Amino acid sequence: MTGQRTLQVVLTLGGLIAWAVQFTVIYGVTSTLCGRGWADATLLGMGVVQATILVATLVTLAATGLLLLASLRMVRQQSGQAASATDDFLSRVGVLMNGLSLVIILWHGVPAFILPACA
Amino acid sequence: MNAPERPGFSGQQSVELPNPLPRPEGEFERLKEAWKAPRGISFITAVNNTYVGLWYVGTAFLFFILAGILALIMRAQLAAPEGDLVGHDLYNQLFTMHGTVMMFLFAVPAVEAASVYLLPNMQAARDLPFPRLSAYAFWAYFVGGIVFLCTIFFGLAPNGGWFMYPPLTGSKYSPADNADWWLLGIGFIEISAIAGAIEIIVGVMKTRAVGMSLDKLPIYSWAMLVFAIMIVIGFPAIILGTLLLELERAFDWPFFIAERGGDPLLWQHLFWFFGHPEVYIIFLPATGMVSMIVPAMAQTPLVGYRLIILALIATGFLSFGLWVHHMFATGLPKMSLSFFSAASTAVAVPSGIQVFAWIATIASGCMKLTTPSLFIIGFLFIFTLGGLTGVMVAMAPFDWQAHDSYFVVAHLHYVLIGGMVFPLFAAFYYWMPAASKYPLSETLGRWVFGLMFLGMNVTFLPMHITGLIGMPRRVYTYPVGMGWDALNLVSTIGAFMIAAGVAIFLYDFARKFRFASEDNAGNVWNASTLEWLPNGNYATRSIPSVTSRDPLWDQPNLSQDVEEGRYYLPGTVTGGREALVTSPFDARPQYILQIPGPGWQPVLAAVFTAAFFLLLTVKFVFASVICGVLAVACVIWWLWETDPGPVRPPADIGGGIVVPVYATGSVNHSWWAMVVLMVVAGMVFTCLIFSYLFLWLVNPSAWPPQDVNIPDEVRPSLAAGLYVLSAVLLARASALLRGDDRRSPRSVPVLIGVALLPLAGAAVTDLWSQWRMGFSPSAHAYGAAVYAILCFQTFFVLTSLIMGVYTIARWLAGRLDSVRRVTFDNTMLFWYYTVGQGLVALLVVHGFPRLTGGV
Repeated sequence: MTGQRTLQVVLTLGGLIAWAVQFTVIYGVTSTLCGRGWADATLLGMGVVQATILVATLVTLAATGLLLLASLRMVRQQSGQAASATDDFLSRVGVLMNGLSLVIILWHGVPAFILPACA
Repeated sequence: MNAPERPGFSGQQSVELPNPLPRPEGEFERLKEAWKAPRGISFITAVNNTYVGLWYVGTAFLFFILAGILALIMRAQLAAPEGDLVGHDLYNQLFTMHGTVMMFLFAVPAVEAASVYLLPNMQAARDLPFPRLSAYAFWAYFVGGIVFLCTIFFGLAPNGGWFMYPPLTGSKYSPADNADWWLLGIGFIEISAIAGAIEIIVGVMKTRAVGMSLDKLPIYSWAMLVFAIMIVIGFPAIILGTLLLELERAFDWPFFIAERGGDPLLWQHLFWFFGHPEVYIIFLPATGMVSMIVPAMAQTPLVGYRLIILALIATGFLSFGLWVHHMFATGLPKMSLSFFSAASTAVAVPSGIQVFAWIATIASGCMKLTTPSLFIIGFLFIFTLGGLTGVMVAMAPFDWQAHDSYFVVAHLHYVLIGGMVFPLFAAFYYWMPAASKYPLSETLGRWVFGLMFLGMNVTFLPMHITGLIGMPRRVYTYPVGMGWDALNLVSTIGAFMIAAGVAIFLYDFARKFRFASEDNAGNVWNASTLEWLPNGNYATRSIPSVTSRDPLWDQPNLSQDVEEGRYYLPGTVTGGREALVTSPFDARPQYILQIPGPGWQPVLAAVFTAAFFLLLTVKFVFASVICGVLAVACVIWWLWETDPGPVRPPADIGGGIVVPVYATGSVNHSWWAMVVLMVVAGMVFTCLIFSYLFLWLVNPSAWPPQDVNIPDEVRPSLAAGLYVLSAVLLARASALLRGDDRRSPRSVPVLIGVALLPLAGAAVTDLWSQWRMGFSPSAHAYGAAVYAILCFQTFFVLTSLIMGVYTIARWLAGRLDSVRRVTFDNTMLFWYYTVGQGLVALLVVHGFPRLTGGV
């Protein structure tokens, strides 16, 4: 696989990979802190569990947002030139994937503002 | 077979085709001869995807019928209160076997089997890239599955429910062999599923029609690609789970025994990390089938191709974030539950996208109400209802009310029957003309659909209420006066209606099905995809070049031109079986793959593999080991004939395209398969490390326990050094092998032989360093986890050693040199993986307790 193809795959699947990272971090950290009784600690002025979820969500949202912008830019570039059907296809699917991923990542961050950490 | 063009479509004008007419005399005969199936008793050694695919589908359907009969017995028992048709013990076996057989022996194999038949035809490939692997997967499944099912006639069937929760299934509460049948029988059938998944991934990525780039790939291929990747990621968890539970039962290693540091919840995590994606593993191929059938029935291209790809991939990802929704009632923190609740509701979005795309396609065309159409409509209705109750149970508070009640039974049957069985029946009716001389009867098909659709709803709709008013699942009877009597009777009547529908299908099938390839019924639906091209045992006469997603509609005369041999590779250039390997993104020809033909090796290897596991179950250890050795010997015999090397110069396949008949490196198909295999191994190992960390989490201040000392740093450091040394030696051998002169890399086998020593030494050093500390794996979960990691790594080292010796043997036999080096490359990949895994294992086992300071 060439470097350009690798980049295309990352752009296409990047949003969902970011969600997978967010999910692993927030579930892993919550389970560990609650399981070990370390959840009373605070970070950034809030509970460590909530802070972790907030940071993980913001970081993955930002990464996915950048991927979305890059995908959109690639679609615009390709519309002005004779891009191959495969390139055009991957870029457009990338826009859809990253757009959907933004919503999913946001959705997974919501519980931090509603629920207690370890109840 | 004719493939009429669809009126109104703007077909592209035929440009000059790759190969001229007339074709050379004898070209077609040589092609047919190469692909001829064996006769007589040797017929079972056939490996053509059409034969193996149909046997596979037939066997899966047999298990559907048998598991369905078990369900009918259960429904007869529950038809009236205080029924006494079967006792509680047999009832436990019935529901366990019904669920297990339906999920493991019917649903996953059925969709995998259908793809063995359909994928090569749909992609105009001559066969899947590893036909003997397909045959091995089938025979292992066939033998293992039949023996497993027969246990119910001897009272030996598993009885702990299809998800086999410990501690109920531990040796304390289930001392008999019943649970072992599940653990070893099903664990090994998973291996068959993974073999199929590797075949599918490489098949979709590497063997397609020329020009069938990713944007023109049939949706079914996309669905199967996602399906196979999900198997590769998801199934290792259950393989590890069954391994750990069997280790606990056989050797008393307490992974799930709370008194000794274990935790039964670990099993639930491992099981459901596989178990929930399993639902989508079954569902996605079915949606792929629907996406092929709907456009043909509506005679219009599929609406929202890109959105459906989005839905398939998103579903594949999200399905791995749902597993804890089966564990809502286990007392996990609500915050944790909410993440899984969020994923459970989010996954409804991609499913909804697909449903709307199909509805839009139906609306934009003119749907013919054929039997496949009826089953598709039934699927949409039933699956949507199942999806809605799925969103209900995705809410933790609702799930707490409905958990373990008949509401859940209703929900899962709406999802699975709606989402998989109805599309599969649609597929039977739709693709029967491609596999048989005659299509199935439309008149009887309507009866089949009517009975199954009504029966399905009559059976399972009342179960929602039965559950909500309190009837728990898995009870073998119930007293009078609970208000459940009439509802249960209705459900039983419905179950027999489904059975009547299936019986009519079987009658029609027996009447109409006559296996055919060249003289099949043909494209009776005027469908647009390549499986409807004229074909024979060799698949299509020539491999077409496609320019759209609906080539039979958009490319005039495609069928005729393909049949006349005007496209690529119209004969055989090596005299044997061949497939054209194409690039994964753009489907450009890369090389000609020499495919192995029929042989006893995969059949015997499968039989001995099955015997190894099954004999182990009944504790015939010596006989089991003999069979294991024979299985390995058969696999080596099988591999010995592979990696044929460049048997002739590059060949012209038409249109001025000249491709080699052999390739190495990342272009090679077996390189891809090895990489996928390493992902499988990596996932099992990841699940093992997860188990280690999980057990640490539930053992505060006991990691390691107070009376256990961990080894000093010297021996683990030595083991790490030996691992690295073995990798360096192998890298040196690889560099030497790259030389052009056959004589100069003479030291290659010596280097491989020398590299074996530090590899074995590393494993022994690590094992010894733990062993001399004197703690037992059965005393505490810590020891069990450490020894599980060590044993797992030792298994990989042993496998690498066998591969190393095998590679040396090929060198000595003149079957390995600087050009013909695929075997070496595969050994090297696996070796590097083993070294990497060994280093991580050392880091975890020796580093983690030091990092946490024993707390």
